[in-house]
Amino acid sequence: MIYLDYAATTPLLPEVLEAMHRAATRFFANASALHTPGHLAMNEIESARTLLAELVGADPSEIIFTSGATESNNTILRTFAGCRIETSPLEHHSIIELKNSLAGTKLPKLYSFMLANNETGDLLDLSTITQKAQSLPAPKTSPLFDPVSDWGKPLVTDRRGAYLHSDLTQALGKIPLDVKRLNLDYATFSAHKIGGPVGVGALYVKKGVPFQPLLVGGNQEGKRRGGTYNTVGIIGFGAALEKLQREQSWRIYDTRIRALRDSLAKRILSDVPGSSLNTDLEKGKSLPNILNASFKAAEGESIQLYLDAEGIVVSTGSACASGDIKPSHVLMAKTGDAEIAHSSIRFSFGLNNTEKDIEKVMSVLPSIIDRLQKISTIEIKEK
Amino acid sequence: MENQDWIYTDIVKDHFLNPRNFLMGDEKNFDYNAVGTVGNPICGDQMKMYLKIKNDTIVDLRWKTYGCASAIASTSALSELAKGKTLDDALKIDAKMIDDYLGNLPKHKFHCSVLGHEALAAAISAYRQK
Repeated sequence: MIYLDYAATTPLLPEVLEAMHRAATRFFANASALHTPGHLAMNEIESARTLLAELVGADPSEIIFTSGATESNNTILRTFAGCRIETSPLEHHSIIELKNSLAGTKLPKLYSFMLANNETGDLLDLSTITQKAQSLPAPKTSPLFDPVSDWGKPLVTDRRGAYLHSDLTQALGKIPLDVKRLNLDYATFSAHKIGGPVGVGALYVKKGVPFQPLLVGGNQEGKRRGGTYNTVGIIGFGAALEKLQREQSWRIYDTRIRALRDSLAKRILSDVPGSSLNTDLEKGKSLPNILNASFKAAEGESIQLYLDAEGIVVSTGSACASGDIKPSHVLMAKTGDAEIAHSSIRFSFGLNNTEKDIEKVMSVLPSIIDRLQKISTIEIKEK
Repeated sequence: MENQDWIYTDIVKDHFLNPRNFLMGDEKNFDYNAVGTVGNPICGDQMKMYLKIKNDTIVDLRWKTYGCASAIASTSALSELAKGKTLDDALKIDAKMIDDYLGNLPKHKFHCSVLGHEALAAAISAYRQK
């Protein structure tokens, strides 16, 4: 199998599996307990917390472990229930739906913008998004990515008293991150996109900003998140973080994986008639591991399943289910073209992918698209 | 390749990977005297059915689609079922017959099998109005 759906989820890293296996037998005790096994479990949790804090430029006390990105997003948006909340149509459903149900007119205001888009990999260009926002005058913004150093400018330079949350799930490990330099008050993280287990995530909450726990229970996480510690999961997350840090994975993504992604893009454009890219490949404009492309007159789900039959795993922005055929809201918001959205495929790379995988994709993709275009009701002009 | 774990049955997979009676390329390649189109690309599914009718019988047919795997497989099945049938008998083919022929589509995909049938009905209706 050639797996090119790393943006959806990733296989557990061998190091993670080993760490979790060890944890399940050695650190099973309740980490909140005062006895020695409990204390040892807590030490492991604190190591993982310190690792994440160091990786993203936070203080360990500003990191809260959760059950994943959805819980993290819920916690922050619910903290601002009834307040003004501004986000973009390109966000994950969890953010859009929460905003629709929770937003009000009170202050302070919350901005919630994903740093890297799930479907296209595009990195946030806050200036265009805030210009589109109707409710308040656009705040002064600066480009997120400095073309010289490649990153590092604050997301928003003048927030007029508003708070800023960003879902960094897709970005973690792919590009260097620093919550302080990004000027964030809150950030969301998830383990399963970096080779850790599903069911573990984290929140960065800057010291002193508003916070309302979502899960009220015991005193865990400084009373900020109730519920017995998921020690094994958190240790798995820690093992994945340790590998990121040790290998400085963002450097590998920026070089080897970027080269793979760009090579696939180039070959698609040259070998597949009617193809177009939905990801901006320019450095600093997108994550280096995501390529979203559309194939005129070929339907996305059919492309996905023809590739699947060849052992190639990708995802599509054309979801057809329950009689409700809705194309990707992200591609619709970005392109305004339903045909582009219905004909889109997302290839997302991980560190295990090689040039051979690109060869295999390109050995079958052109004929799959050609065939779908030939039986299509939509005409495609021959080149 | 580990194909046995496909989300569809083997028959659906076979009709998806090797669709019967589809019209490759230009529609001038097929000699037809009735045509019907349903759906639109904005909704994500479009189907076009071309029939060659003689003495009220479908002697041959072809189809084209911009549609998902289920739409392709079910229309392929429909085309096999409809070939050689009189127009009245062809109209009696319904989604359940196609579903039975294919050995059950996933439930959330059942609606996709309607598309081919609707295009067939549209083509017959157009022919009868000539």
